[in-house]
Amino acid sequence: MTGTILLAVCVMLGLAGVFAVLLGWANVRWKVDVPLQLRQLQDALPGVNCGACGYVGCNEYAEAVFNGQAPPDKCPVGGAAVAQRVAEIMGVELAESYPLRPVVHCAAGYDARLKRAAYSGEQTCGSANLVAGVQGCTYGCLGLGDCVRACQFDAIHIVNGLAVVDYEKCVGCGACERVCPRHIISMVPFKAERMLVVACSNHDPGRAVRQVCTVGCTGCGACHRLNDLFNVTDNLAGVDYDRYDPNMDFGPVMEKCPRKSMIFVGKPSEKDLAAVAGEKLTEPVEADFRTSVDKTDFRG
Amino acid sequence: MTLVVDILLIGLSTAVINNLVLTYFVGICPFLGVSRRISTAFGMGCAVTFVITMAGGITWLISYFALLPESALVGAINSLAGKTLVRDLLFLQYIVFIFVIAGMVQLVEMYVRRFAPPLYRALGVYLPLITTNCAILFACLIIAKDPKLAGNFVFALVYSFFGGIGFTLAIIIMAGVREELDSADVPAPLKGAGITLITAGIMALAFMGFKGMAG
Repeated sequence: MTGTILLAVCVMLGLAGVFAVLLGWANVRWKVDVPLQLRQLQDALPGVNCGACGYVGCNEYAEAVFNGQAPPDKCPVGGAAVAQRVAEIMGVELAESYPLRPVVHCAAGYDARLKRAAYSGEQTCGSANLVAGVQGCTYGCLGLGDCVRACQFDAIHIVNGLAVVDYEKCVGCGACERVCPRHIISMVPFKAERMLVVACSNHDPGRAVRQVCTVGCTGCGACHRLNDLFNVTDNLAGVDYDRYDPNMDFGPVMEKCPRKSMIFVGKPSEKDLAAVAGEKLTEPVEADFRTSVDKTDFRG
Repeated sequence: MTLVVDILLIGLSTAVINNLVLTYFVGICPFLGVSRRISTAFGMGCAVTFVITMAGGITWLISYFALLPESALVGAINSLAGKTLVRDLLFLQYIVFIFVIAGMVQLVEMYVRRFAPPLYRALGVYLPLITTNCAILFACLIIAKDPKLAGNFVFALVYSFFGGIGFTLAIIIMAGVREELDSADVPAPLKGAGITLITAGIMALAFMGFKGMAG
């Protein structure tokens, strides 16, 4: 018995010795010169090989950064700290990045949309978008809530037939942007808590817009004449977010816009909150499905 | 002639009929984890085939010379003592095999990195991941247990090599199915792991059709 134990110990020690020598020898003999920068990069990354950066492992991402094929801020696990460190090692400036948040480029509630027809098909935007004549505007929000269903964070809701983002809850995953069949949601870099956006997606000429909507952008170009941050392409105003500065005075532009298409979206400012702090909010009334029967809606 | 027939039979039996993944359900983690794209699945399959062949050969040598009752080491100790002091060291199998596989993977990684950088880049993180692939340990243990394989080094090598081929086959088929599944309308509760496991089960059922053909 003692002999067996001793022999087992000896065998294991012998094997360990053989492998230690072998691996040690191989490590010296087959040494690969890794540039110092690359080694530092590999150390700086979390090393969990999760693949969220789009590369197979941390080492591959480190090599891509080292070869200049990837930006330093692609590691979502490490976040800003790792991006900072990687940029430091590579000696590059970390481009200032802003969180992307969705913006619904439509401001027309049910009362602002004209030429609406009763739609009793399947209650999704995807289906309604296939049918002509649900509403006059072929660009605007359909209000059937595909984005609401796509959102995992309860951060977008339909208010009076219009999708409204709750920026307190939004994390900027972009699910609503991808699902919208009319592509009226776009991801905008939020340089401030509140951003000025053009709340319309209609590319039709002004006269056609006026026939289908009371608030849509007619492409008059008034904003462009006041401030070249704004441009008008295909009868629709747009904002150049690369040059956007939150401290600009947008009052005149918002004042001048005949359709009031320029609106601020985002978290409410402290001034706004203070303004409504004293107001008494009406209690929301929930529909009682035992008593109220909606005859028009067919939920397929 | 009989040697060639034997080798072919062992090969067919391990790669298809007694497929490591689909019959014994070993090596499931890479089978499910790395089977998203055919190219990566092929890389993983090649890495596993390579390491499993090396590990199969080396563990066979260690078993043959140090662990089995009739091995050289045990025989020498017993003849030195003049009586049966040590019966065998087979209880060391697991720890020795795991040790050898881990060491082998390290060595292979260093070698490939130095002499075949393109292959190293192609295998990427899969090479170190193989250390914990149970299919390799399983193949080594089967080789040590099966009397036909334990007595013949060539058979042991053939068994482990075709075990790796069988793994590659299974993971590539799985990757192909999963690439097609990406565009399929999968019911929401089954998305992801659910449909993958169901697919694996159906594949295992299909491979059961080979049962009884040989070995």
